[in-house]
Amino acid sequence: MRRHRFVPLAAVLLWSLSAGSLGPGLAQEEESPLISGADLLDGLKNPERWLMYSGDYTGQRHSPLKQINPDNVRSLSPRWTFQTDTTARGRGFESAPLVLDGVMYVTGPNGFAWALDARTGRPFWRYRRELPNNLTYGASAPVNRGFAVLRDRLFMTTLDAHLVSLDMKTGTVLWDIEMADYKLGYAGTVAPIVVNDKVIVGISGSDYPTRGFLDAYNPTDGTRAWRLYTVPRPGEPGSETWPNSAETFERGGGGTWVTGSYDPESNTLFWGTGNPNPDYNGDDRKGDNLYTCSLIAVDATTGKLKWHYQFSPHDTHDWDSNHVPVLAERTIGGERRKVVMVANRNGFFYVIDRTTGKLLQGTPYTNSTWAREIGPDGRPIVLNDGSKGCIPDNWGGTNFMPPSFDPDLGLFFVTARETCASYIPEKQVVTPGRFSMGGTVRRDLDKAYGALRAIDVSTGARKWEFKYATPSFSGVLSTASGVVFGGDNEGNFMAFDARTGANLWHYQTGSGLWGAAPITYMLDGRQYVVVGSGSAVTAFAVP
Amino acid sequence: MPLIVCALILIAAVGAAGQGTTVRSDDPAAIAAGGAMFRERCSDCHGADAKGGRGPDLTGIWTNEGSDQRVVQIIRSGVPGSIMPPSSAPDTELRAIVAYLRSISTARAETSRGDAERGQQVFATLCTTCHRINGRGGPLGPDLSRVAASQSNEVLTRAIRQASASFTTGYEPVTLVDRDNRRTRGTRKGEDAFSIQIMSAQGRLQGYLKSNLREVIRDEQSLMPDFTPDRLNDDALNDLLAYLARFRVNEPPRRQAPAGDRN
Repeated sequence: MRRHRFVPLAAVLLWSLSAGSLGPGLAQEEESPLISGADLLDGLKNPERWLMYSGDYTGQRHSPLKQINPDNVRSLSPRWTFQTDTTARGRGFESAPLVLDGVMYVTGPNGFAWALDARTGRPFWRYRRELPNNLTYGASAPVNRGFAVLRDRLFMTTLDAHLVSLDMKTGTVLWDIEMADYKLGYAGTVAPIVVNDKVIVGISGSDYPTRGFLDAYNPTDGTRAWRLYTVPRPGEPGSETWPNSAETFERGGGGTWVTGSYDPESNTLFWGTGNPNPDYNGDDRKGDNLYTCSLIAVDATTGKLKWHYQFSPHDTHDWDSNHVPVLAERTIGGERRKVVMVANRNGFFYVIDRTTGKLLQGTPYTNSTWAREIGPDGRPIVLNDGSKGCIPDNWGGTNFMPPSFDPDLGLFFVTARETCASYIPEKQVVTPGRFSMGGTVRRDLDKAYGALRAIDVSTGARKWEFKYATPSFSGVLSTASGVVFGGDNEGNFMAFDARTGANLWHYQTGSGLWGAAPITYMLDGRQYVVVGSGSAVTAFAVP
Repeated sequence: MPLIVCALILIAAVGAAGQGTTVRSDDPAAIAAGGAMFRERCSDCHGADAKGGRGPDLTGIWTNEGSDQRVVQIIRSGVPGSIMPPSSAPDTELRAIVAYLRSISTARAETSRGDAERGQQVFATLCTTCHRINGRGGPLGPDLSRVAASQSNEVLTRAIRQASASFTTGYEPVTLVDRDNRRTRGTRKGEDAFSIQIMSAQGRLQGYLKSNLREVIRDEQSLMPDFTPDRLNDDALNDLLAYLARFRVNEPPRRQAPAGDRN
């Protein structure tokens, strides 16, 4: 046998690195931090980090940072812009970047992602997924909402309904698993969230004849730990709400395409589910159609359903309940409660006991509604199913753009959409891999407008609003200094006084803020606020 | 000649040569047109002679990558994770470029005398701290999963024996000197007039403002040592090349959804 002759590894490494880091007068450099489960539980405690879609597990999107405040926000100015050179036609830049250790990890449309220098916006690496040319839902909404992170790994969904893990340092694919067959209508757009050493991820595609689910994967190798379908199979609890369950359960809809929240104390995930399919025609699915248009509470270890609350039973308006559920502790009726709050696409704002799933409060936050009120049994008392005109359009009273919640002020900030639409159901021939909307929507655009609204969560009453010219899609961020950031379809990124709603600052980004969720972090002693718009990501700071 | 006129002539040449959308790879007119297009669009990275520069040597691609169609697809979609962009040029033009590349191809099935199993051990001992193959290994040096698909054994041998002779884009060695004269070595990921982005020798992504640095030194010495014959003898080198040749295409493991999981 031949013998190899080579210098042992350790010697080679010493030789090659000694000039750089080991001698006197050389920078003592730390290893890159590995993000642990404890770091994720800490959420926004480390001011230099933004580690998940909503910043922390509560979904409040409320930062403790105070450098940018109502007095100095007028001098906020852009520090850098990163042009991604890729756009989602007809949509927006919907991703929330992650920040840690001075590096920003951001996903974009069309399967792109980047690692950027958080000081300058200059790239370290770029990832691009090779996508098939026969995408289904992923072709109509070629967006992505962001990464999740654990240890030295990033996790990202893809438009061909895969989940990939990337090496944080290089963007190299570590593993790649298929969640569902994209040819049937599935796609991945949601930002995953890591909980208890599992990657929790949902699916898009309820405008196609698909079946929603929530999945948990092992971050090390991508093996699946559990799956919870949002449409039960025949005989399972909930299947009685689907009269033709055996024929429809595999195409009932109920996507899970917006990142949920997590309560570590009860080890519970809270996740919104999408519309039943076909969207506008419910003739072959008479009944409530559980668990579509609902909030589901899920055991994070087993994936078992703990409870559900359905916002829009038997929906025929495409009112997905895919919103960030916001967790908080509030005093309601003199009693301290752990609650979950949702401003729903159907125009109502809900406060739900998150232990029991019982509705505590349901109040309209939009002027146009389809229901008079939410009854004592938790069901809406519907006035107008849409055939008589002028109820919220299919994009809803708000949509997936994240709201924020200031626990000190008790105010919930949401981008509201005032629209007026009527719905015309049509017969739908359901074909796998083809859109199955089941009708059309007529909108009266003359009356439409948008607004940033502050809801007093103790009563559900509107505290203030700032009107936008058109129904807008911007996510919201608030900070402990009393500033709220939002935006409009016309491209303005804006700052407001959280107490009064007074507009303090605006900057024209050049493209509508559409589903973008601002984030904020400290770096080198300076607070940055970052938002995506069009095909660009821009970072702002005060001088 | 104005660029537009030039391009029109090229298209005319390709059209005539290729009779519409089919371009025969042995058609002299297509080869000539493809060569002109190659020099205009590709040579910046792949070299005027296609033997590689910042981008890989293309004269050997048929050895490993297979069909013309595969090469057209690569040009069409670009190479994710590299600076090779996608192309929206018409198929006829891409086929002409491929016809040209085939005409200059030196491809022959490249065999290595080495033993891939032993080469794997060499890789694990000497290379894996900095280089990765199919997701395993360190991040400091380039991913070698498909390096053998685009580089000849000769080029690879030179890169191993004389590591500092040339650097892959994104892996140029630099030393940053801060105001306290502390030095940080790393590889350059990006740079503009005011800032530089590196991966430090410890594998940390780090951005620097040049205003905070005393000096940015462009090192001539790679972070990788020269593996001269006294460090790595010819047999071991051949084993290593045989191992690298196993990984022609960088396809990370993709798993299908488990069968029978219709719940």
